[in-house]
Amino acid sequence: MASNKNREILIKTGWTALKVALVAVVVIVFTSKANNYYFTIVNSALIYVIAALSLSLLLGMGGMMSFATVTFMGIGAYATANLSKVLHVPTSLSILLAVLISALIAFLIAILLTRLKGSYFAFASIGLAQISYAIFLNFKPLTGGPNGFSNVPKLIIAGIEFDNLKKWFYLLLIIVFLAALSLERIRRTTLGRSLAAIRDNEIAAQSLGIDIYSTKIITFVIASVYGSIAGALIAHMNTYLSAYLFTFDISVSFLIMVMLGGVNSTTGAILGALLVTLIPEWFRVLQSYMKLIYGISIVALMIFMPSGLTGIIDSIKYKVDMEKKKKRNKDYSNG
Amino acid sequence: MDEVILSIQNVNKSFGGIKPTDNVSFNVKRGEIVGLIGPNGAGKSTLLNLISGIISPDSGSIFLNNVDISRMPAYRRSRMGIGRTFQDPQFLLRSKPIENMLLGADLANKNRYMQSYLGLSEDKFTMKFAELLEISGLNVDMSLRINDLPYGQRKILEIVRALLGNPQILLMDEPAAGINIVETEMIVKLINYAISEQKIGVLLVEHHMDLVMSICNWIEVLSSGTIIANGVPEDVSKNPSVIEAYLGRKSDVIS
Ligand SMILES: Nc1ncnc2c1ncn2[C@@H]1O[C@H](COP(=O)(O)OP(=O)(O)OP(=O)(O)O)[C@@H](O)[C@H]1O
Ligand SMILES: [Mg+2]
Repeated sequence: MASNKNREILIKTGWTALKVALVAVVVIVFTSKANNYYFTIVNSALIYVIAALSLSLLLGMGGMMSFATVTFMGIGAYATANLSKVLHVPTSLSILLAVLISALIAFLIAILLTRLKGSYFAFASIGLAQISYAIFLNFKPLTGGPNGFSNVPKLIIAGIEFDNLKKWFYLLLIIVFLAALSLERIRRTTLGRSLAAIRDNEIAAQSLGIDIYSTKIITFVIASVYGSIAGALIAHMNTYLSAYLFTFDISVSFLIMVMLGGVNSTTGAILGALLVTLIPEWFRVLQSYMKLIYGISIVALMIFMPSGLTGIIDSIKYKVDMEKKKKRNKDYSNG
Repeated sequence: MDEVILSIQNVNKSFGGIKPTDNVSFNVKRGEIVGLIGPNGAGKSTLLNLISGIISPDSGSIFLNNVDISRMPAYRRSRMGIGRTFQDPQFLLRSKPIENMLLGADLANKNRYMQSYLGLSEDKFTMKFAELLEISGLNVDMSLRINDLPYGQRKILEIVRALLGNPQILLMDEPAAGINIVETEMIVKLINYAISEQKIGVLLVEHHMDLVMSICNWIEVLSSGTIIANGVPEDVSKNPSVIEAYLGRKSDVIS
């Protein structure tokens, strides 16, 4: 029994070490070879990872299908842009304030939206994404209207100015890592378990003291935090904002990312976001068909792999474990 | 130990034309196992749903430790101490046993969000869970998803989860239905532990008459939504109107 546990721990540590080493190799090779073009692509992929994590929390953990990720990205982006450029708030502080503003707005919206169930919630979030897009596109004083918002100040954290894409790459790696870590942590707290209970069995949830409404509100607010961080980072990295960065289509692509990787998995969201942003870059010819491909992928994912890549891997692992156990039990009863 | 934990007073509930709860009143005291019996469709599960808050009564009141809970949402009632199990066990089927049991521990945590975030409660939980498993004598393969566990184990785990939540009173809806004798024995051990160590009250809905007669201190008989008789097991089992209402024929009661 004890040796079994030790072996398990050993295997787990081994896997983690392997993963870390793999990521390190990729990062080192990438940074030594990449030019600005690659950094541009990979950096925006990393920002999309953060946005995908936002949806992973809502949809994967909480069962809330939201298309409003772009709403909070946009709020975060335009808020920090205005604060830093117009009011001259230091950028690291303006990002923080932008996140707070976004969280506050998310809270007010959540009070209304989280009352809705299933597809009603999804429809309402579509409406929200359309409304926010209309505002980003037309409300000149804060967004620059159709011309966009230019000359967003460069990000400065603790005296370091993030003035090139390589620096951004490292910063984004750290932020993605922290975002993923915090999401994994949430999964293992009362909040994460409450969400799983609401998603899988509302009757059990209620009879175990879980307040469905307030749990959903808290989750919606936290998801908006991830989303607005992603948006604020876009603002300071690109130093230019346009409403086209926050369209309904972009929210749909988050859905594909999360579904492709696996709705109920942090690794899945990361994997999905990277694949969905990087693959079209590798196959540039596909880009004009992107909408068609997105549409087909959603239908195909829903039908053929509703639990995504990580879901498939997990269920294979589980089945293999089961088989091993059966065999062991057989050997035991024979020997 | 004459302290009343749960008091049901003139509770009514109807669904359209049917009235599964018709002016029902009774008490459950601390340290007491009250059996709630009656034929299929008598309204037993409905009554448990009214107490736990899955549905609300049309009229009448339900008191937990002298607080009127009858208009509170279900989650607040469970936080106040109403624990329950279901006729059909309610779990997160795709999750492992531990994750399901932790939901019970979360309920027992007063400071729900912070404590488990800091990881303070998990040690206490592990000990308590192990203790309850040992008391029942149940051996569960923790690597399996709840979905893949035998039905009987699921029913027992549901009781364990409810007890992890530190309830004041435990409502059980046919815990022994569809399980074997060994598993029934395990359930009895858990109920006895809940009564003697956790000092709670138990309201037990059950069709297995020998089980009800052997462990209950008091029995309420429900038929078509009304309490038609109550008393200690010996009296109730001899009551002719109970025998008639419950099974129609005397011979069936014994089996
Ligand atoms: N939500 C509901 N809507 C409409 N009718 C309901 C509802 N819940 C219960 N009923 C009806 O109320 C009556 C009592 O049902 P209930 O489930 O309480 O019986 P029970 O005593 O638990 O029976 P059993 O022993 O079969 O579990 C039944 O006629 C049932 O169809
Ligand atoms: Mg019933």
